[in-house]
Amino acid sequence: MLNIWRISWRNITHNKKRFFFTLFAIILGTSFITAMLVADRTTRDVFNYYTDMYVANADYWVLSDKHTYPEKMIEPVQDDPDVTNMLLVLQKQAFFELEDDHSLSQRSVRIIGVSDQNSPLLVLPVIEGSLDNKGVILPKTVATLLGKKVGDTVRFEGMGEAKVSAIVEYTQLLASPSDWDSAESTSFRVLVPLDMLREWTGKHDEISYMRFQVNGDGKDLFHSLQQQFRGSGVFIQPVVADDLQNNDISGLYTFFYIVAGLSMLVSGFIVFNTIYTSVIERKKEFAIMKSFGYTQRSVSKLVLIEIVLLSLIGTAIGVPLGIWLGDLFMQELLSMLQFDIVYTLNWRLPAIMAVIVGVLFPVLFSLFPIYHAGRTSILLTLKMASQSKGSSRPLLIRAVVGLVLLCFVFIDHSVTYAAVLAGVILLFPLLLAGLSRIIKPVLNFLFHYAGSLAAKSLFQQINRNANTAAILGIGISVILLLGAVVESAPEGYEQEIRNTYGGDMRLTSEAPWSTEDITKLRSYDGVLGVEPLMEATPITWETVDGVSRQFSVFAVSEDGPALFADQHEEKLYNRLKQQNAVLLGERAFDEWGGEIGQSIRMNTPNGEQSYEVVGVVKTSHYSGYVAFMDEERLKEEFGWTKSFDLLLTVDNEAASSIRDRVWSDFRDHLSKVQTVEDEIESTTSTISGMNELILMLLFMIIGLASIGTANTLLMNTLERVFEIGTMRALGFTKQQVRNMIIAEGLLVGLSGVIGGIAAGLILIYVTSQSELMDGFMSFKLPYSNMIMAVISGVVLSLCAAWMASQSASKIDIQSSLKEG
Amino acid sequence: MIKVSNLTKEFLQGQERTRVLKGVDLNIKKGEFVAIMGPSGSGKSTLLQLMGGLDVPTAGDIQIDGKYLNKMSEKERTIFRRQKLGFVFQNYQLLPTLTVEENIAFPLHADGKLTKEKSRVIQELIKAVGLEGLHRKRANLLSGGQQQRVAIARALVNSPTVLLADEPTGNLDRANAEEILRLLTVFHRENRQTIVMVTHDIFAAGFADRIILFRDGGIDQVVSREEGDYAKYLANFMA
Repeated sequence: MLNIWRISWRNITHNKKRFFFTLFAIILGTSFITAMLVADRTTRDVFNYYTDMYVANADYWVLSDKHTYPEKMIEPVQDDPDVTNMLLVLQKQAFFELEDDHSLSQRSVRIIGVSDQNSPLLVLPVIEGSLDNKGVILPKTVATLLGKKVGDTVRFEGMGEAKVSAIVEYTQLLASPSDWDSAESTSFRVLVPLDMLREWTGKHDEISYMRFQVNGDGKDLFHSLQQQFRGSGVFIQPVVADDLQNNDISGLYTFFYIVAGLSMLVSGFIVFNTIYTSVIERKKEFAIMKSFGYTQRSVSKLVLIEIVLLSLIGTAIGVPLGIWLGDLFMQELLSMLQFDIVYTLNWRLPAIMAVIVGVLFPVLFSLFPIYHAGRTSILLTLKMASQSKGSSRPLLIRAVVGLVLLCFVFIDHSVTYAAVLAGVILLFPLLLAGLSRIIKPVLNFLFHYAGSLAAKSLFQQINRNANTAAILGIGISVILLLGAVVESAPEGYEQEIRNTYGGDMRLTSEAPWSTEDITKLRSYDGVLGVEPLMEATPITWETVDGVSRQFSVFAVSEDGPALFADQHEEKLYNRLKQQNAVLLGERAFDEWGGEIGQSIRMNTPNGEQSYEVVGVVKTSHYSGYVAFMDEERLKEEFGWTKSFDLLLTVDNEAASSIRDRVWSDFRDHLSKVQTVEDEIESTTSTISGMNELILMLLFMIIGLASIGTANTLLMNTLERVFEIGTMRALGFTKQQVRNMIIAEGLLVGLSGVIGGIAAGLILIYVTSQSELMDGFMSFKLPYSNMIMAVISGVVLSLCAAWMASQSASKIDIQSSLKEG
Repeated sequence: MIKVSNLTKEFLQGQERTRVLKGVDLNIKKGEFVAIMGPSGSGKSTLLQLMGGLDVPTAGDIQIDGKYLNKMSEKERTIFRRQKLGFVFQNYQLLPTLTVEENIAFPLHADGKLTKEKSRVIQELIKAVGLEGLHRKRANLLSGGQQQRVAIARALVNSPTVLLADEPTGNLDRANAEEILRLLTVFHRENRQTIVMVTHDIFAAGFADRIILFRDGGIDQVVSREEGDYAKYLANFMA
């Protein structure tokens, strides 16, 4: 009894090289998809993990708009029977006492004193030592930078010293710079017992904030405390896990999906090419099968099983490989971040999804050949009715449709991208034909007559060869676009930051700035202006779906620093002056989900309130995850009265000396000095790191597409066994045959590269002109990526061609002559 | 001109070795038109392929114009083939993407020796084989007879020492076959072209000066056209 699976297996392995290339394409495509799914899940887990770690099990926290407040303010909380756990925290800025020559700003450290280091409201993953509530807890990066181990002593200027009790993994609470350059603008953070810090600072009954956990949802207690604290400067907020304020990574997830989609497209096309060619080659076989009684469905089923076998094997190898690649990718990705983040690879669900996709996509891409196989005409095929080649009409139609689709360049819509890519694919035969003619002299020079033959022979399968080049071109164009966006983004961000920073330098204090402080700063040489910056934080609010979120609310005024950009600024300032009005940054608005004119609910120091959203604005503060309110309204209705930040406008040349002087004069309460350049550097450094990933991705996609080139050239060779045998019989040496195939591969590769770069430039131009991007991206040629595309495209195409040429040169003359 | 000494060729088929040529000795003079006849599987095509350097013998020597083909490397045989030999195949073996003119010029291109003089020779050959006006036509769009004429012109373009023809009329009807054989005869007589033709067609063999009868991997007999009633003799042999 004939086993259809066995027959299918024999069919697909009949041509070993073709089997290998097609399988390799499926393996790579599936592995890239798996890697991106793994990276997507793992990245989400990482950020959720650290956010949850920061939240721990706390339900609420009590803060104030001053540096500290009396502990007795929280007696109602301490006395409430529903409160299960509490953590008291006091914070103080200080300076490490170090032997090395580091500046004051580099040595600044926030000492966080906690009432219980082992509290369930605090998550500290210990690497070394123990949480003994006796000594100082250092995050790993700080311990490494200071060269401290458990048991070593850490000294704080003007305060005291303590032994290191434990070294812990990264947490948001103890987020610290990992090098001395970053330390110029960001403080270190360490943890000590509350009592120790109180002793050093003399603030025996003061706390900065406290967190607590309740039985049930604690809403009654929450509302009751809101009322009690009203007007006191102390306020209560739910503890909300929301990392959007600090992380704008939605673009990263989009990147993952683009890569996965592109891999599937390239890999799927290679499968389509192979199966379609195989079906065409085996038409006689299908015709004979049908003449013996096989139905259309049976023939299609046979081909379907062949593809299923390929995809099963490819997926079985590709998914584990993809998990490994995903791990590598995560290491590379997280190394771009400033903080030493650990992760656990989330691979199970991605692996299941990848298996489903890996098995399905080759089948989906082969649906047409499967159908075509079943539709084989018995009589036409067995009579070997001559297939009229050479009607150039379909090519002409293809070119015309391609040109029409390219005209979408003039339409500013997201559908333009798909239209341009489709248009480019359709125009590839024209490009291949044109390029063959243009570089024929070069091919003649390099490969002599073999080069001339190569140019002619590509026309035998112009559609297949053009499609192969097109898939390489599409891969290159998409990556070039991504690269241009990444390259352009720092400039866009820089402009946005400079326009909305509000000054040149921002000073953050742990205590509210006084009028005397401001007067003193204004007297500095080089300081041109000092403006208070009022930031109410953290403020919890609700999306339209009732999900709790958290952000900051900035005070703004017409005369104050420009914190947002909008063409209708004056109008917006007037709107804000009306009662209960707020502006949202773009990201906050998107997350909120409402519309302008609707109200947003917030928990303010004066209790829960609703505010009408009167506009959406661009701002660089917290990447747009922020709100703005009129200064007077913030003080009166909202209940936030103090400024912990100042914005200085300075003479650029004096910035460095002003920084040093500020640290020296305000060392008692200064916690951070950041210039607008620091902010730009911090925002753009991660994006710049993406460039390396883009280059890696470019190489991967070109590599995958080159497998398609090798496959196509191999199929071209196998179809021309008779022809190549004749050439050999007539005196073409093996080297000349190899040269011919290599020249063909070079033509396909070059047209793919040139077409890809041209399409990429069109896409970059379209994006730069698009109003959807709002001028964020300028038209800039991504030279490094273009050069990389040319080099890797040509080199990998030549490698692919070389492989096919080895097969071609080994064709046996006698048997090939018989085939004719 | 052509000297074959103790030529033996074995093929491995599965586990078994099959001896296709068994110590063949053969001399062909310059300017001779020789036909090799024999039943299917007698080894005649194998002999022709070995003479053309398309394969190497298991034992024995092949000398053409004083050069030992069996002692050459693969590349040397290829170059020798394109410079010194001409091939005509049963199924024409034209390159479908090339025109008539380009097909004929192929051996010269492969050698990198397409000079103006040679271009003139190509035009003359096109005329000689009766394909004037068709030089720009794609070869695969011609009839069978026309394609075989192109093949003959291609085989002669480099003025080969020997023309090797493997069943040149095998795929043609009688009228076209006669035409092809007439052409070969013209070139043989006018240019003293040495021709070795493998055929199973008695009619075709009759155009040759000498007919070598092959059987079971060796030469059975040699018959000259001058001998009386050779056709009947050949017919009996082939039967």
